[in-house]
Amino acid sequence: MDARTVTIPHLGRVEGHGGIFVKIVGDKVHEVNMDIYEGSRYYEALLKGKHFLEVQGIITRVCAICSANHTVAALTALEKALGIEPPDRIHRLRGLLLLGATIESHALHVFALALPDFLGFDSVLGMAAKFPAEVAFALKLKQLGNRIQELIGGRAVHPVNTLVGGFGKLPSKAELAKVRAELLATLDPLMATVSLVKTLDVPEWGQQPTVYVALRPYDRSFFRFRGVAICTSKGEEYPLEQYRDVIREFTVEHSHAKHSALASGETYMVGSLARLKLWGDRLVGRAKEAFDTLFPKGHVDNILTNNWAQLVELVHCIERGVEVCDLLLDMPEAKSELVDYEVRAGRGVGAIEVPRGTLFHEYEIDDDGRVVMANVITPTAQNLANTERDLRSAVEFLIRRDGKKADPAKLRTSLEMIARAYDPCISCSVHVVRTDE
Amino acid sequence: MPIGNQKPKVGIFGLTGCAGDQLQVLNCEDELLRLAERMDIVDWVMARSQNDHNARLDVAFVEGVVATQRDLQNLRTIRGRSKVLVAIGTCAVWGGLPAMRNEIPREVLEKEVYKSDRPFLDTVEARPATDFVPFDLMLPGCPIERHEFLRVANALLVGTTPEFFKTPVCWECKTKENLCRVVHCNEVCCGAMTRSGCGARCPSHGVACSGCRGPAEETNYDANITMFKDRKISWVEIARKMENFSAPVWMKMGLEEEEVRGGR
Repeated sequence: MDARTVTIPHLGRVEGHGGIFVKIVGDKVHEVNMDIYEGSRYYEALLKGKHFLEVQGIITRVCAICSANHTVAALTALEKALGIEPPDRIHRLRGLLLLGATIESHALHVFALALPDFLGFDSVLGMAAKFPAEVAFALKLKQLGNRIQELIGGRAVHPVNTLVGGFGKLPSKAELAKVRAELLATLDPLMATVSLVKTLDVPEWGQQPTVYVALRPYDRSFFRFRGVAICTSKGEEYPLEQYRDVIREFTVEHSHAKHSALASGETYMVGSLARLKLWGDRLVGRAKEAFDTLFPKGHVDNILTNNWAQLVELVHCIERGVEVCDLLLDMPEAKSELVDYEVRAGRGVGAIEVPRGTLFHEYEIDDDGRVVMANVITPTAQNLANTERDLRSAVEFLIRRDGKKADPAKLRTSLEMIARAYDPCISCSVHVVRTDE
Repeated sequence: MPIGNQKPKVGIFGLTGCAGDQLQVLNCEDELLRLAERMDIVDWVMARSQNDHNARLDVAFVEGVVATQRDLQNLRTIRGRSKVLVAIGTCAVWGGLPAMRNEIPREVLEKEVYKSDRPFLDTVEARPATDFVPFDLMLPGCPIERHEFLRVANALLVGTTPEFFKTPVCWECKTKENLCRVVHCNEVCCGAMTRSGCGARCPSHGVACSGCRGPAEETNYDANITMFKDRKISWVEIARKMENFSAPVWMKMGLEEEEVRGGR
């Protein structure tokens, strides 16, 4: 039997260093590895013994694209450990910061990293020649996401203004009103890109039945990114604190990032498509309209539609951003807001839905406020096992359909598109943090 | 630093890191497309899927630390094919956070994180890229500031050498009329020891400088430590702030190890 391999040594248009290796013998797929060779930075060792006030500034540097998300997850976990309940304004401002981060991340991924595949370009720079208006709009949208993070977090990458108990400096009403107006102005052009994307075909080799996991939103009736329980598409629900029992992590030799599966052994997907599967019926306004346009028959089991799901969430983030600005504008103006608290020993879990899926942070601190245990599970690490499963099924589909003629270049492109659809963040996935007591 | 090419060939690379400096390049939304017209970005894995990994480069930008053997090989290859090599970000220039606890052996770290008895990782002590090959320009920052990247890119395009102030953050902080975090708030602020260019971001948000941009030129460390001690700030407190970003560099540049880690 002739054996052949398809190798993508360095996956382009993703964040971090990874590759794909597939071994095919005859018409059977023998091995599918998503190689993750990003170097390890061992953040756990950097955190152990540190004072809890240093945690945010260190852990945000696990990943640049996701820095605001790691920040909010870490602060949420630490505040639970310390028994701090952040007041309304702080909760809202962090919500707006997360929306800004998701707008930036989704705009970057959908338009600059994923869409070039569907339109036949090698990069967004190439795409700009044929679709100048769309690319210019995408960059503007991404910039708006960054501006929101800069306004609330003090910097677009690795925020400095975000503290345990609140913020060093609050945005003025004038600044919030300006952001609100800019958000509102992007809604129509964004819906125009929804119409453009609607005309694109989604290849069928991305299809595969999948288990989805997402947090139950804190708001009973609406689509939200912060949650109160872990839910699966099989109808199970678990408290956040049980995350280590729900998500089983294991190491594989070809990856510096750990893999995950449910207790049942099934791999699963987290991210935009998972959130729409579980809570898509809660979308309202133009976001609902975008969902109905891009998913006319409802949610589908095709990972390539995760790009479309991100576009739906972009619309949601814009609309929700306007709402949050309104809520903040109704509050009296203040220069800063920091809750008073006493340092005490404790343990807390912070879980939020971030662009690529569910992110868990857990910390335990001692009486002096020093970190004795830290654990971070990132969405990309959770998705890796499922990504390999989808890569395998895509190769099998293409070999079944095209036989031995299956064009290696086409196989490679297809594999890249699958991996990219997950929007993997390899820095995040490798810099797993875990220190057991 | 003339690069002698109408449309220079450029590569942008990441070693081990958070990709924050490459992201800051992507974050130059208003300038990115114009920049791409003036230079030929032929190798940038984070942004393109078709890359020329062999082309000779007029300019290469590199972010991150060397934390694997593969990183080191890549770095040497990049140096070999580039006329001008620019380090972007504190990791590449100084080592940054990944180099913070280099005294702990890698095997210990590996066991702690991966819970595996079989070593399978390609891992070496994290060190700045600038320790291994000569660089022509260094742009610190965690992450780099966009305006500084654009100044470097522009200077290289017009064939001049970009100049950066090596003054401390305090200099920028004063021009912003912020309250001093040390004098008024009795906090450990690294501003007087840290390179400016960020516009004193942290103190402008009411937060002490964490030293993320690495050392300023000719810093008086002893005077800083005395200033903290005079305010009855404990060694533990001083070490807590100072051992994050720049402790290895500060130590190398004259600060005694005991002073950074004192009281522990």
